[in-house]
Amino acid sequence: MEIIEKIKTNKLVEKQTDIQKICLDKLQSSPLPNPKSELWRLSNKIKFSNFLDYSVNEKNLKFDIPYPNNSQKTIRLIIGQNCQIQLIEENYSIQQISEDELDKYIKEQISCFNETENWSDLLNLSLSCKKNILGLRINGSKIPPIEIFSHASSNSLNAKTLVIFLEKNCDIELLQVNLGKDNSSLSQSTFFFLEEHSSLNHGVVSYGKNGSNLLNSLNVIQQKNSEYSLGSLHFKFNYARFEINIKQSEGNAKTNIKGMQITKKDEQISTYTKINFDGPNGFLDQINKSLADDKSHAIFEGSIIVPKIAQKTDASQLSRNLLLSDLAQIDTKPQLEIIADDVKCKHGATISQLNEEELFYMRTRGITLAEASKLQLSSYFQEIISFIPVSKERWDLLDKILNEN
Amino acid sequence: MQSQMKESDPILEVENLFASTNNLPILKGVSLTVYPGEIHAIMGRNGCGKSTLSKIIAGHPSYNITNGDIKFSGENINSLEPEERSQSGIFLGFQYPIEIPGVSNLEFLRVSTNARRKFLNKEELDTFDFEELVKEKLELVKMDQTFLSRSVNQGFSGGEKKRNEILQMALLEPKIAILDETDSGLDIDALRIVASGIKKISNKQTGIILITHYQRLLDEIEPNYVHVMADGQIIKTGGSDLALELEKKGYEWTDNFVKET
Repeated sequence: MEIIEKIKTNKLVEKQTDIQKICLDKLQSSPLPNPKSELWRLSNKIKFSNFLDYSVNEKNLKFDIPYPNNSQKTIRLIIGQNCQIQLIEENYSIQQISEDELDKYIKEQISCFNETENWSDLLNLSLSCKKNILGLRINGSKIPPIEIFSHASSNSLNAKTLVIFLEKNCDIELLQVNLGKDNSSLSQSTFFFLEEHSSLNHGVVSYGKNGSNLLNSLNVIQQKNSEYSLGSLHFKFNYARFEINIKQSEGNAKTNIKGMQITKKDEQISTYTKINFDGPNGFLDQINKSLADDKSHAIFEGSIIVPKIAQKTDASQLSRNLLLSDLAQIDTKPQLEIIADDVKCKHGATISQLNEEELFYMRTRGITLAEASKLQLSSYFQEIISFIPVSKERWDLLDKILNEN
Repeated sequence: MQSQMKESDPILEVENLFASTNNLPILKGVSLTVYPGEIHAIMGRNGCGKSTLSKIIAGHPSYNITNGDIKFSGENINSLEPEERSQSGIFLGFQYPIEIPGVSNLEFLRVSTNARRKFLNKEELDTFDFEELVKEKLELVKMDQTFLSRSVNQGFSGGEKKRNEILQMALLEPKIAILDETDSGLDIDALRIVASGIKKISNKQTGIILITHYQRLLDEIEPNYVHVMADGQIIKTGGSDLALELEKKGYEWTDNFVKET
């Protein structure tokens, strides 16, 4: 109950919104995630309690964007710092959703929430004050790439929420960057609604500093003939969870996911995905990679749900994992739940170490063991990294960050 | 034959080499000396230790030298790392060149070439200068530039992989090249291209060891010495005629030789 008390007694949420009240009510019955549930059983309890240790604090949110600011064509938004957004151009418009509409949509979502599966969203929405909820409605074509930043401040727990409606025939490229500071916790919940024939090329790059924690939840609803592609990378967090929940509400939609998590020292980073096909002819191509070094722990659990209505579903889910140390740990569990009888679904998982013969080959060409390992790792990353929509000048920076790591 | 007086010092001396992997003895007393300008062929049945010998000379970490020495340019290299051996001029052409997805062939070749150039106190090449150099070397093995933009060996045919090995040899300019079954999996045309590349690269300062099962590579590149290996030892050494003799007699007699000894 400690977290509930902490939220309730926090001055910033004295004037609780309806959404916060509803979520707090739901959390009363489940103040902490159920440690016996499949979604939380491997979660490191000490690290998770460290996530909750920090108090909710909106002060001192000074923020330096790590990417160079030289791309004029990129629309850059920082959750919590943008007051009014209204971009109406010849071919497209990006507008903030009205408070009423946003309230209505979030309440609809909450009504379907389950305390175990959506615990992270309930926490997020009970913490997020109005200014930290960014709701956008986007339509049109030839939209410049969008970057949206969320960040935590040191010794604080911060919550940010993003809601985006993509209207019919709209096509966007969106990079979401979640940044942790020293000893901080960030709760990020994202909700996308993709209307018919819309397309979202989504990148998520989350990286922390010493003692950063992250609860990152992503909820996507896809209408028919929409396409959602996600490239994600999570690294340098003491504790991080990435929960992905995608629903193809009418089938006939396409989902592509390429995700990666890198753990070092004693970090724990996990990815949970649940893909629901609620109609026929759905398509999924998913690969998740984990790379665990030192004494760290990486987790991937993925489930694909194909009910009877979802005939002709074509889904593939692969989990590829690389263990770099004898003390590191990787848990992976891709799973299928299929009731429809005319589907094409496959899943698989591998855990391996750096390929000795590849390393030897490179070394016989004069490349040192350290360089050869780095080359091998970068080739392992590349499939995922190249899927993240990041422009070239920003990629150089991402490359640098990965090398520093 | 190898005891003849030579004008220069040997490049490579393998002296009474014993080696094992997972406590299983593989090499049981191999001795071999290569002088500059010499071409040696090592022949023998599968599993006789030919490839193991090449890997041990190149420094494969899975093998332990239990006795004997490997000297390169007079220095004992038993404890050198594979990259140190390569940088100092030992080249191993792989029987099965490794695919490295995601690593561009051009970058791989550039990093390797610069590692060797650094050792030779030569200026390291940037991408533009290196492209000029590599274009010239591509001619030797009749490869086109599209190979450079692909991942190392990924999706290459057997012949393309072997030509890529010879391209690497051309770029690294080794003092000694050990080519492990470079002829396997090649059609006649590809074999001629590879053999011609090897001949153009080799000179009076380089030594070459060809590991092969067949005479056909030796028809293209005539060796000075042919060694027959069996059960981890060199059991016979002769001139190029020995290879022709093996072609006729096969390797059965080597089994009898091992049983008798």
